[in-house]
Amino acid sequence: MLHRVFISCRYLAAFVLVAGLSVGRAEISRAPLKELMSVQSDVQSLLTQVRPAVVAIRISDGTASGVIINAEGLILTAAHVAEKPGREVRVVLDDGKVVKGTTLGLDKTTDAAFIQLQEKEKVWPHVKLSRDVVKALPGTWCFALGHPGGFDKERGVVLRVGKIIRQTANSLQTDCVLMGGDSGGPLFNLKGEVIGIHSQIWEERDHNMHVSMAPFLRSWDEMKSSQVVRVWGTGSGGYLGAAIDVNAAGKVEVLEVLEGSPAQKAGLIAGDVVEALETQPVNSAAQFSNAVRARPAGDEIMLKVLRGAAARELRVKLASRPKEDEG
Amino acid sequence: MKASAGLFLLFLSLAQADTRPTLSQEERTNGAHILGGVQTTLPAARAAVGQIKDAKGKAVSTAVWVGSDGYFLTKASEVPELEKHRIHWAKDKSAAIREIQRLNAHDLVLAQAVGVSGVTPVKFEMSNTKTAYGQWLAAPVKGGSEIRIGVISAQPRKIQGFGAAMGIRMDEQPSRIPGVRITGLAEESPAAAAGLKAGDLITALDGKPASDMKQVSDLIKSYQPGDYIEVKFSREGKPRSARVRLASRMKIMQNWDGEDFANGGISLRTDNYARVIQHDLPLTPLDMGSPLFDLEGHALGINIARVDRVTTFALPASVFWKKIEPLIEADRHPPKAMKP
Repeated sequence: MLHRVFISCRYLAAFVLVAGLSVGRAEISRAPLKELMSVQSDVQSLLTQVRPAVVAIRISDGTASGVIINAEGLILTAAHVAEKPGREVRVVLDDGKVVKGTTLGLDKTTDAAFIQLQEKEKVWPHVKLSRDVVKALPGTWCFALGHPGGFDKERGVVLRVGKIIRQTANSLQTDCVLMGGDSGGPLFNLKGEVIGIHSQIWEERDHNMHVSMAPFLRSWDEMKSSQVVRVWGTGSGGYLGAAIDVNAAGKVEVLEVLEGSPAQKAGLIAGDVVEALETQPVNSAAQFSNAVRARPAGDEIMLKVLRGAAARELRVKLASRPKEDEG
Repeated sequence: MKASAGLFLLFLSLAQADTRPTLSQEERTNGAHILGGVQTTLPAARAAVGQIKDAKGKAVSTAVWVGSDGYFLTKASEVPELEKHRIHWAKDKSAAIREIQRLNAHDLVLAQAVGVSGVTPVKFEMSNTKTAYGQWLAAPVKGGSEIRIGVISAQPRKIQGFGAAMGIRMDEQPSRIPGVRITGLAEESPAAAAGLKAGDLITALDGKPASDMKQVSDLIKSYQPGDYIEVKFSREGKPRSARVRLASRMKIMQNWDGEDFANGGISLRTDNYARVIQHDLPLTPLDMGSPLFDLEGHALGINIARVDRVTTFALPASVFWKKIEPLIEADRHPPKAMKP
């Protein structure tokens, strides 16, 4: 008998989505048709490329999904699929072949996890993941793949095409409809890069949540070495070493720069107003700090700052958060 | 069978802070912006449908016109008593229904709206139909007042049938008094909907005495999902009866504990089809029977089953149209139902 481990939480279904820009009738034209056709041709050509990397995962008496992201056979999936490090799982490849894998580390706070295929010497089919977490903007087209209800060779992997609806520090919401068995499966952008891992649904059709790449990039080393992340914000994510807050003018201002921090090495000083991170305008303290943490340690970022009336561009090499800082 | 490790809820506070504004309803895949661009190119899709409504005015399925003189097709298992219903179309038109033939193998029924002419039939594409993963599709909903879009989401294939069921577990041990004891019921199952309870003793099905579990199970399996079955049973020694509307065995097994999260529910019959196109259009069971188009306006088939939260099946025209056309021709000569 099929049994779904959905945990329903009806009060969350009453969550009110804030409407953003709406489109007036005058703007309605045939342009959307062209847009759809271009999305279709992108998705169809990418599907053939990425499909061999999408897998079904059999664990205990359940079934879920995952995606291989390097030639050595590292799989991204959801933490509620892996549950704990060191579990043996069966991985079903696109052609139906079943191979063995082992769960590595996981981030319980965001639902991110790794599985390692046991034959490391083999060259596994794999896809890239997007390191530009903040570029997965609402309104962007994307597609979801997975094995809802379990692997079915006659049916094949199940495709859903839709748009990103919401971006949070660690997750994406889309209108690509998911269900049980999809957990751990990949969400792709139209470059064929993984931007999310299917995580949870609420009752409404548009309530499909995916873990973004942020927790994976932030806690990569910890998760690869089979650690369990239990406190949000820890891990090897980008660390700047500056205290910031919104000033009276509503701008993001540097309050303090820590001794020896990446921020100090780059020349950031108290009183600087941060205007942009790369090409993204900075408009709130939370958005700025999320954008920094979403990048892996070692990444170089460009900060546009205003010092008095003078605009400056500073290159900062992000470091790992100092250990004593970890929660 | 295996269980599905489901998607679950996490309780995140800080980690769920929005970093960008949420996309408005209008800008989503099935929002006003995209649909506005698609609807103008598919006028035929919206004119091609009617709604089948029961005596109380409640919609039960969607009909697609296949002859300008009122011939239409709809999903058979949703309308076991089709002639008790009426068909409604355009803004304010409706007509009585004359059933012509059921094609149970395809879950379709051919019928005619009595005394109707001048409706716009769909012209099904028999060849040159592309059905590739990722191809956009469109279907009319709400009696043709709106359109929905989605993509082909899996490989076309045959769907095996597992027969009908009413969603009960039965006592394997023979009862001391003749009959078969119900030991459990599935959530929202046909049996539960008809008022049956655990502990009830089934004594007869459609007039046939119930002897043991296997005989009852085999008898139910011989029916089609959507069919009615008369169940005689005894509760606390008193004889009673209930009329149970059977559903597909697969549907009941998948939703034994409820919470299918399917948004609007799923169809009674979801299996036993010669060939289906699987797509991700946001449809409900009431939309079944509607035609399925590509974005160039070619009618590819008929939506036949809402299966779960992510799955709808459509029958490609090549499966059924060659059988339907001669039935319409035979019915037209001589005309049988032109008087109201």
